[in-house]
Amino acid sequence: MSKTPVINVTELKKSFGGRRVVDGLSFEIEKGEVFGLLGHNGAGKSTTIDLMLGLKEPDEGQAKIFEKDAAKNRREVFEKVGVQLQQTQYQSSITVEEACIEYGSLYENSADYNELLSQFGLLQFKKSRVAKLSGGERQKLSVVLALIGNPEIVFLDELTTGLDVVARREVWRTLKDLKARGLTIFLTTHYMEEAQALCDRLFIIKSGREVVSGTVEEVIKKSGKRNLEEAYLYYMGEEELL
Amino acid sequence: MKRFLKMYGVEQKLFFRTPDVIIFNLAMPLVALILISMIAGEKEAAVSGLTYLQSSYVALSTVGICCSAFMSIPISIVEYRSQGVLRRMYCSPCSPARLLACDTIASGVMAVVSTIILTVAAVVFFGYRMEGNFLLYMGGWMLTMLSMFSIGLMVASVCRTTKSMNVATSVLYFPMLLFSGATIPAEIFPKGLRFLADIMPLGVGINLLKSLSRGYYEDIFSKVCVLAVICVICSGISIKTFRWE
Repeated sequence: MSKTPVINVTELKKSFGGRRVVDGLSFEIEKGEVFGLLGHNGAGKSTTIDLMLGLKEPDEGQAKIFEKDAAKNRREVFEKVGVQLQQTQYQSSITVEEACIEYGSLYENSADYNELLSQFGLLQFKKSRVAKLSGGERQKLSVVLALIGNPEIVFLDELTTGLDVVARREVWRTLKDLKARGLTIFLTTHYMEEAQALCDRLFIIKSGREVVSGTVEEVIKKSGKRNLEEAYLYYMGEEELL
Repeated sequence: MKRFLKMYGVEQKLFFRTPDVIIFNLAMPLVALILISMIAGEKEAAVSGLTYLQSSYVALSTVGICCSAFMSIPISIVEYRSQGVLRRMYCSPCSPARLLACDTIASGVMAVVSTIILTVAAVVFFGYRMEGNFLLYMGGWMLTMLSMFSIGLMVASVCRTTKSMNVATSVLYFPMLLFSGATIPAEIFPKGLRFLADIMPLGVGINLLKSLSRGYYEDIFSKVCVLAVICVICSGISIKTFRWE
C-alpha cells in the first residue's frame, strides 16, 4: 500500500501568556489511519486540534490537511473534514432532525441524515429535542453531525469523556465501522482501553511535547511495561502510581 | 440559496418555540393595544393631533422591533458564541456569519409578524385607519428596525459574556420599552420624561412613524438622518468588534 499522508504537522508551537502549550509537535497521518493523541488534562491536546483546524494561529510551525492550511482554505478543507469539538452545545430547543438539517446545510453534498441516524441508532429520536437526549445519544449525534458532510477525515475531541461504559462501547462500535469504511480518524482520549481498541497509532504528549509515538505494541514495548495503561503512567513519569 | 433557506427555516422555527419571544414580541403589543383602545381609544392623546388608538398603534408597532433588537438578537448571538455553536460552524465550509444572518432575519420576521397581528387587530376590531401613506410608513418602520437591530448587533459584538450581555440588554430593553413611548403613550409623560423619550433611539423612530402615520412630512428629515447615522455607526462597530469565539 502506498503511503499518502493526509495530515502533515511540522514543528507546531503555541504559547498563551508566556506558557508554551504546544511545543514543537510533528507528525504525519496517513489515509485510513486512526490516530490517537493522548495526554493528561492540559497537555495541549485540544490546542493542537485548534491549531490544526485553524481555530487558533500557531506561533511557529504549520499544520496541513490535504496539503492545505485550514485557516486559509476553510471552504475546501472543511468540505472534506468533519469535526466533533469538546463542549459544543446545541440551540436550546432544536430537535435532532433540525440539527441534522442545519448542519447538513453547511455542505455542498450532505449525507442522508435518516440513514446516518439509523446507523447510529438515533432514528427514533428524530423529533426529540437534543437537550432531552442522554449523554451517549448526544455524543453519537455529534458524530452524526461530524459525518454529515461526507468527510474523508474526522476529528473527535474526547468523544467518550463522561459517558458510561455501555454508551462508550456503543460509540466505539460506530467508530470501528467508520474505520472499516476507510475514514481517517484523529481522536483524543483519556481512556487507554479506548486507545488500544481503536487506534492504529498513538502519539503521547506531555506539557505540549512528544513523549513517545508508534503503534500500541510499540509504545508498550518501548516502556517495558505489561499494558498500555502502565506504559502511559511510565511515560508520564507517574510510576509511583503503578 | 437553498442551503441558506434550510438553515433559516430551522432558526425561524426555533424563534416560534421560544416562550419569551411569543409573550413579549407577539402577545404584549396586542394586549396593550386592546387595553388602551378600550380605555381611551377615541380620546385625543394630549395635543398630538392623534387619538390614543392612532398614537398607540404606531408606538406598539415598534414593540416587536424593540424585543427582537434588544432581546432576541443579542441573547441568541451571545448564547451561540458561549455554547460553542459559532465555533463549531467555523469548522465547516460555511462562515458562522451565515448563522448570524439567518438569526437576524428570523428576528426581523418576528417583528414583522408582531406588527401584522397588531395591524389586523387595529384595523378590523378598532377601525383604525392611517391618514398618511402606508408605504412610506412601512419604509420608516423598516428604517427604525434596521437602526435598532444595528444597536442590538453592536451589543452582541461588544459583550463577551452572557452576564455582561444580560446587563446591557436589561439597560437597553426595559427603558426603551417603557420610556420611549413604545408601550406607555409618550403623550401622558411629564415634560422631563417626554424629553427622554424624544432622544432615545427608539423614541426617534416612534416620532418619525407618528409623523408618517399622520401624513405630516415636514420634520421627518432630521429623524431619518438620526436613525441612518445610528445604523451606520452601530453596524460598523458591530462588524469591527465581532468575535465568533
